[in-house]
Amino acid sequence: MASITRVGPHRLLRRLTRRQRLSTLLLSVVAIGFITLDLGGSGLESAHTGVRGSFGALYRGTDSVLGPARRWLQGLPSAGSNEAKLDDLRAANEQLRGQLSAAEQQRSDARQLARLGSITAVQADGASVLAARVVAIGAGEGFDWTVTLDKGSADGLAAGQTVTDGAGLVGRVLHADKTSAVVLLAADPGSGVGARDSRNGEIGISTGAGMDGFTFRPLNPDAKLKVGDQLSTGPSQDSSYLAGLAIGTITSVTTSTDGTVTAHVKPVSSPTSLDVLGVVVPAAPPDSAATDPAAGVTPR
Amino acid sequence: MTRIGLLRVIAALTAIVTALLLQGSVVAPLVAPTPVSLPAVLVAAVALVDGPGAGLALGFSAGLVADLTTRHPVGVLALAWLLVGVFCGALAVPRVEVSLGAVNPTPVRHVLMRDAVIAAVACAASSLGAALLLTALGKDGAMLTPAFAHLLPTLAGDAVLAVPVVVLARMMLRWAHLRAPAASAVVSAHG
Repeated sequence: MASITRVGPHRLLRRLTRRQRLSTLLLSVVAIGFITLDLGGSGLESAHTGVRGSFGALYRGTDSVLGPARRWLQGLPSAGSNEAKLDDLRAANEQLRGQLSAAEQQRSDARQLARLGSITAVQADGASVLAARVVAIGAGEGFDWTVTLDKGSADGLAAGQTVTDGAGLVGRVLHADKTSAVVLLAADPGSGVGARDSRNGEIGISTGAGMDGFTFRPLNPDAKLKVGDQLSTGPSQDSSYLAGLAIGTITSVTTSTDGTVTAHVKPVSSPTSLDVLGVVVPAAPPDSAATDPAAGVTPR
Repeated sequence: MTRIGLLRVIAALTAIVTALLLQGSVVAPLVAPTPVSLPAVLVAAVALVDGPGAGLALGFSAGLVADLTTRHPVGVLALAWLLVGVFCGALAVPRVEVSLGAVNPTPVRHVLMRDAVIAAVACAASSLGAALLLTALGKDGAMLTPAFAHLLPTLAGDAVLAVPVVVLARMMLRWAHLRAPAASAVVSAHG
């Protein structure tokens, strides 16, 4: 213990012992090693999955205790008006029916099940909207534009599914663990969404800009964009998002000196006040639907 | 591992998991998109009582767990919070000086205020540092302008969290089983 420096009251900065200096150096090197390893995209995925899955389950537990107080502080609508939110999601579900091929007999089944009040997901033709609640945002720090939902792969969620809040696009499922799922918000600066200007049909890429909404770049350099144009998710071939969901409204258009047109887009749904969301779950393949009649319908 | 060592590890793990859960389900939703961080404040508060050894170990492990729950490269928060732990540990006022408050001109209240300010500054700086590192790595999610724009709100948020956390950390670490062996040695050296 001879190495421990005596601390005088006037001495602000304690000297680190030799061992502490060595540990700091060593752990810094380990951390930098991890960063390099993870940037290379190797090896750490199973550790990610394990920790994320456990935390997803723990978030659900924490949210059931602290969620009501947090929602009250946040000024989010509580139980009563969540019904309205679910109605919105059901309306979005109806809209999806129009976009996807119709199959009438499912509808009466869905209505009946909905009347029974025993389901949260209503099977529509081809796809259903599964209601899920946000139980956590990001983790550790604020620069992760993700939210954790209280539904997971056990409820039919899978990576790549589109997430909506009833009004417009929210994001897509990034990872689905057994009882929880992580959603990457479309507002994430690294997230690009294929978008279409509903006035003139110009297509382009909508890139997330955090709290500033989106930046829209049309593929056609001569595209005429106007303030007030509505954007919706565009052609779905290359995009994992469902087509036809509202993204936002153009608030300003900039033309740079080289002629490139970009537009700022005000989002339909705010990325920081999300509560009950809907995940668009595609219909199960026919063979699995035959063996499991409850596919896509989740009892509460 | 000795019984006390085991107790310290269990206490540290419990503290890390609790702080991360509260961060994800309460703090982050309330302050988003400002990167106010309860786990970072906890690391700072413990280091400010227990010294650099406890600070660097707690900072690194809390950061590593937090990294594994996020989508940015593992190691960013581990490095950031490790540095928070070392920096705050280097500025630690050992327990003995505080507990001798009656004869020491520095009252406990002043030490707690000083701790809260140091913790808030260190945590806000670490958030900025992590955002800069992620931007430099070209990772999604981090942007330069918001990182600077959020600096002052983050400082304020971290300060609000730091006040109760430094008080709690000093209360918990009064219990001999949870104290760092080095800090106990300082106590005996003074005693």
